[in-house]
Amino acid sequence: MAAPNFQGRHMRQPSKNTLLKVVILGDGGVGKSCLMNRFVSNHFDEHSFHTIGVEFLNKDIEINGEVYTLQIWDTAGQERFKSLRTPFYRGSDICLLTYAVDDRTSFRNLALWRNEFLYYADVKEGMTFPFLVVGNKVDVSSEQREVSCEEARAWCMENGNPPHVETSAKDATNVEQAFSLAVESWAHLEAKLDRPYIGDTVDLRRQQPEQRSSCCLSVGGNTE
Amino acid sequence: MDELNDQGVELYSHHGVLVKSQNQIRDDDSHCSGTLSIIEYSGIGKCIEWKPTEVLVDSETNDQEWAMVNAVGRRNRTSSGSNESQSRCRSVRIEVAHLKSFRVTRNRQQVTLMERDGTTHSVFFFQHGNADCFVAALKGNIKTVRSKKDKHLYIVPDEPESQLDRSFAELELFTENTTDVVWKFVRNLHHRPYETTLETFAKLTDIWLFKSSEQRREEEVAELLNRSLTLNETSADAIGEEYAVVDLRNGPLLPPRPPAPRGPPLSIEQWAQFQDEDGHIVEVEILKDIIFRGGVVPNLRYEVWKFLLGYFPWDSTHADRQKLRKQKVEEYFQMKLQWRSITPGQEQRFSDYRERKSLVEKDVNRTDRTLPFFAGENNENLMLLSDILMTYVMYNFDLGYVQGMSDLLSPILCVMTNEVDAFWCFVGFMDKVCSNFELDQAGMKQQLQQLHCLLSVTLPDLSAYLEKHESGNMFFCFRWLLVLFKREFSYQDIMRLWEVLWTDLPCPNFHLLLCVAVLDTQQHILMENNYGFTEILKHINDLSLHIELDSTLSKAEGIYHQLTSAICLPDVARKIIGLDPLGGPDTLEQKEPLQTTDIDNGLKVEEGPESLETLTFSPRTGEVAFERSLNLNYL
Repeated sequence: MAAPNFQGRHMRQPSKNTLLKVVILGDGGVGKSCLMNRFVSNHFDEHSFHTIGVEFLNKDIEINGEVYTLQIWDTAGQERFKSLRTPFYRGSDICLLTYAVDDRTSFRNLALWRNEFLYYADVKEGMTFPFLVVGNKVDVSSEQREVSCEEARAWCMENGNPPHVETSAKDATNVEQAFSLAVESWAHLEAKLDRPYIGDTVDLRRQQPEQRSSCCLSVGGNTE
Repeated sequence: MDELNDQGVELYSHHGVLVKSQNQIRDDDSHCSGTLSIIEYSGIGKCIEWKPTEVLVDSETNDQEWAMVNAVGRRNRTSSGSNESQSRCRSVRIEVAHLKSFRVTRNRQQVTLMERDGTTHSVFFFQHGNADCFVAALKGNIKTVRSKKDKHLYIVPDEPESQLDRSFAELELFTENTTDVVWKFVRNLHHRPYETTLETFAKLTDIWLFKSSEQRREEEVAELLNRSLTLNETSADAIGEEYAVVDLRNGPLLPPRPPAPRGPPLSIEQWAQFQDEDGHIVEVEILKDIIFRGGVVPNLRYEVWKFLLGYFPWDSTHADRQKLRKQKVEEYFQMKLQWRSITPGQEQRFSDYRERKSLVEKDVNRTDRTLPFFAGENNENLMLLSDILMTYVMYNFDLGYVQGMSDLLSPILCVMTNEVDAFWCFVGFMDKVCSNFELDQAGMKQQLQQLHCLLSVTLPDLSAYLEKHESGNMFFCFRWLLVLFKREFSYQDIMRLWEVLWTDLPCPNFHLLLCVAVLDTQQHILMENNYGFTEILKHINDLSLHIELDSTLSKAEGIYHQLTSAICLPDVARKIIGLDPLGGPDTLEQKEPLQTTDIDNGLKVEEGPESLETLTFSPRTGEVAFERSLNLNYL
């Protein structure tokens, strides 16, 4: 079964869990909090509040036999609160750049979010960072859609080729897959960084380069 | 998944356990009944579970294994009936291995469970009998230690045998000098053997569980946050209210906290008595005192709030107010027309306007939608909310729309129901709190620093603890302050709280004392759970809808009386709550002059901590030291 196995952390020693700090960024209203809640609680509220300040939730996720604890940080998107948001970028392992497929502006701003993240997370120059580009709200009708999958893919190609996935926090499409994809992406880069010569021995279920260039995961598309 | 096939073995169960409703809109006494049990699963081990008695099926989420109740989920409410009951009664599962502590209160009928990551779960209320059996069952399955400082609190110490597997050296335990730590341990063990052991063990496991890299990460984040929250030191206004560290643990400064009973709300009959025949409001101070003590009955809010928010002057007559209102209606629609007449083409070329409009649209759809007043699609009140905020953008274009404003307007619109009155009352509210929304966030920074200062004189132990745990910047109170507790209380409570705060009694910045009062209630939980930066943030976020308003207001007023009658309250704290400075060389208690450094005399800000000796108190009353800025504490 390819779906990631979510479970508690007591099966193995707690210390063996790798704690990964995940930051979700993107314009206000694209569904950052909803993505986090769908992933952590499998719950969606049509009329949730906008986030004030920062919030975070923890969630354990098992990928390829390894248990990770994801500490997911969700922040307020408005420019005004930038100085109180950016400190939380420091020490991140994974960054989700989110937009809503029915909000063109949010897509256009991806580059701004990416740059803001790289600057404040203090990512070393030239270093590849595990970004994941998430187009949320795929549940909207095709008339409401303002950003096509191809466009998003093209943007990714020009911006370090991070994996791209379209999700719906509302109907749970690809949300778990998005987070596990992000972790796999992290694991892949980590393997390359830490152990360049034995990188091949890391058993990733899917071939990462291929995954990264492929565009949208359709519903259930990643069950192999 | 494995867990679905794993039925588990029930070790304990108790029926008729209530969980408080998570709905901000409903009255506080609505609850869901269910069964609380301890179940052992072969896969994931022992869990504490609560399931609602009535089984609710929701097509959207029936594939889920478990819905964990959490801070965010709790505040996010749905509007439609069936969804609502579903979200209110979601099952809870807590792995026993994640349990950090629990609190037993209200005649041992209530239990609050807290996890290691700072998550606080809903209160479980045992309507049949009490929680004794549950607590006994828990104790049978895990080791617990009763807190000495908070007799209601039971702490789950971390498993000691796992630590023995590794030597101290391997663990890279201490960021501080190891020798110092060991000596400190030996010294403290002599004086406080129990606490010292617990504290050290907690430290050991915390570092072991959340590796040192995790710790470093938090420290880095906190340090950057401190920089963000530090006021620009060249600002002349700020200098007197700089961040102060007051270490008063050596001597008691504050007298005992006097009781401050709450009163009944202002009634319709009382209100009538405060008006003369022309409509002047008489004896305003007495009136305000009644409102401070008990608020206003809901039916009167429509009238009284207009005065409290400065829309109607207290000394106006009926005729004055009629005239004023006419003007205000005209003025409002004039401003409304300004943005209503912007053509799509103009909008295209007006990005500042477009941005503000887009923000308003997004937030209006996410403001109190579970309230019947704002529920449903194409809700007219939602349109009003949007129109008022857009008109406010024209009223104060420089400030524009900032997230949080829709939260502040919502209850006002709900009370006023009409656009014009709601707008002008909102303007009055914004006049009181607009510094929260400024571009440079100076107002928020200043308040966080003032809060820290008040905390350090009122609860010096907690204040010192927070500093040690990267939380001296008080950032975890950000949401409380930005929208004046809007997200922390039920709708009824927030209306009560705001009308109390709008009286400006008993002192300026009373809302900061309210923060101190909440922290006073949480002090032992935060400290004895040994929470760090992220756990503190989470614990405080999770308090949302779990703060008792009246007792907290009463406590805050008690703290105010403590501070006013304190023998030697530092001037920096006195100024915050509107007391005259004691300063001056003649003052009995201080050798040093107390007035704050005067920047106008060409004093260099960069002089460093030495320049602050004017703020140092005589050691006789306890060591009081002030530091210039937040950063100094973390260097």
